[in-house]
Amino acid sequence: MRRIVITGMGAICALGHDAPSTWKAMTEGRSGIGPIHHIKPGELRNGGIAAEISDYDPANFFDEARRAMLDPFSEYALIAANEAIRQSGISFAGESAARTAVVIGTGVGGETTRDGMYERLYGEHQGRFHPLSIVRLMTNAAASQVSMVHGITGPAFVVATACASSNHAFAQAAMMIRAGLVDAAVVGGTEACITLGTLRAWEAMRVLSPDTCRPFSAGRRGLVLGEGAGMYVLETLESAQARGANILCELVGTGMSSDAGDIAAPSEIGAAAAMNLALRDGGLSPEDVDYINAHGTGTVANDSTETRAIHRVFGAHARELVVSSTKPMHGHALGAAGALELIGAVGAIRDGIVPPTLNYLGPDPACDLDYVPNEARAMKVDVAISNSFAFGGLNAVVAVRRAP
Amino acid sequence: MSTVQQDTFDIIAKQAKIDIATITPQSTLKDLGIASLDAIEVIFDIEEHFNINLPNEDTDLENGTVGHLVEAIERQLAQKPASE
Repeated sequence: MRRIVITGMGAICALGHDAPSTWKAMTEGRSGIGPIHHIKPGELRNGGIAAEISDYDPANFFDEARRAMLDPFSEYALIAANEAIRQSGISFAGESAARTAVVIGTGVGGETTRDGMYERLYGEHQGRFHPLSIVRLMTNAAASQVSMVHGITGPAFVVATACASSNHAFAQAAMMIRAGLVDAAVVGGTEACITLGTLRAWEAMRVLSPDTCRPFSAGRRGLVLGEGAGMYVLETLESAQARGANILCELVGTGMSSDAGDIAAPSEIGAAAAMNLALRDGGLSPEDVDYINAHGTGTVANDSTETRAIHRVFGAHARELVVSSTKPMHGHALGAAGALELIGAVGAIRDGIVPPTLNYLGPDPACDLDYVPNEARAMKVDVAISNSFAFGGLNAVVAVRRAP
Repeated sequence: MSTVQQDTFDIIAKQAKIDIATITPQSTLKDLGIASLDAIEVIFDIEEHFNINLPNEDTDLENGTVGHLVEAIERQLAQKPASE
């Protein structure tokens, strides 16, 4: 079977405008959560906090012609993809253009554009929309833009599985590379969901925390939304070695499952199935795993269910490995979550530092693992998995290993 | 039984498709078999019916009783300006 490696990594999120600054913030335990700027104060019922990208001006990244086509969710995807491709040094010239895929996870797509249109239509009774509204808001726009800007002519598409979108995207790209359909892929996830409409809908579901995000902790009160993108270059080990590329780590396995149960409540069985499948796909035994970057949203239900699922998969080894959620730093970026969180898993392997679970107040009897509370930990990590479990009962897990 | 309590029981019974006679002020939504999204829908129906906003603190879906919910509704109604 073809082995797959990561040779480029890019990001933009509340922690920084690139992957190195995002990783640095994770090791420092810095949080990007704060009062929301995208929405006027007083328009939200409770909380009014999120992990927004700060000091962001699209004009620093795109010319006017390109910008006219872009909703923020595509901007973020392009910024992260450009960085990953630059770092990888991969070229899409000649035949390799058609032998490369673009797969991007996103939860809601062009929500900023949609919100703006509907405000104009229903609020201002002004029905004249910008002619590029459709090409901005269409959910596939992010994949199309990456393909267009980089001249990638192989399969390009978007995967939408809510909070698991990024990890499902990694799985699709890995399968295409293994099947010999393509030799490389630009893959990850993007989300720009901090709009009034989306926030009000999340408030109505009563899962947003009024204070902050404190996964696995006593006194946790819910999740805090984030935004951004994480993008990666995947290629075969053979091609990376042939061109002397710097290999960041190996993408060794992926696992996907569906709960076929409740539309919102998480399932221990479904989560455990996805973790087990990722291990099996990567030829790993539970004892091989040193670190789990958890889904860890900070809701009462997710964190206790995920803990039970980890016990179920790892048995006695659950007490040996470490678990952390980086969501208190970059927020829950929905379709971009898995891609941003993989930075934590890759960084842990490369630098021997496990990012912490911030805002941890103390143990909850239902969450009884080592969650690396509040401070990063120096530790050798050879194998890590990254969990994503979505509303709709869709689960996807990615396993990464030290570069061969 | 106060009108607010009567209305609240009606909403819960209708949304959860249960016999209103099984609801008491001591019942939790969990006792009544109303979990997850069903419970959130009950709270939404109550907010719509009384035209109030119930903060998350007043809607403990795990351990809060229907009696507590009625008290929270009455508190919100008391805070509403008379003109609304």
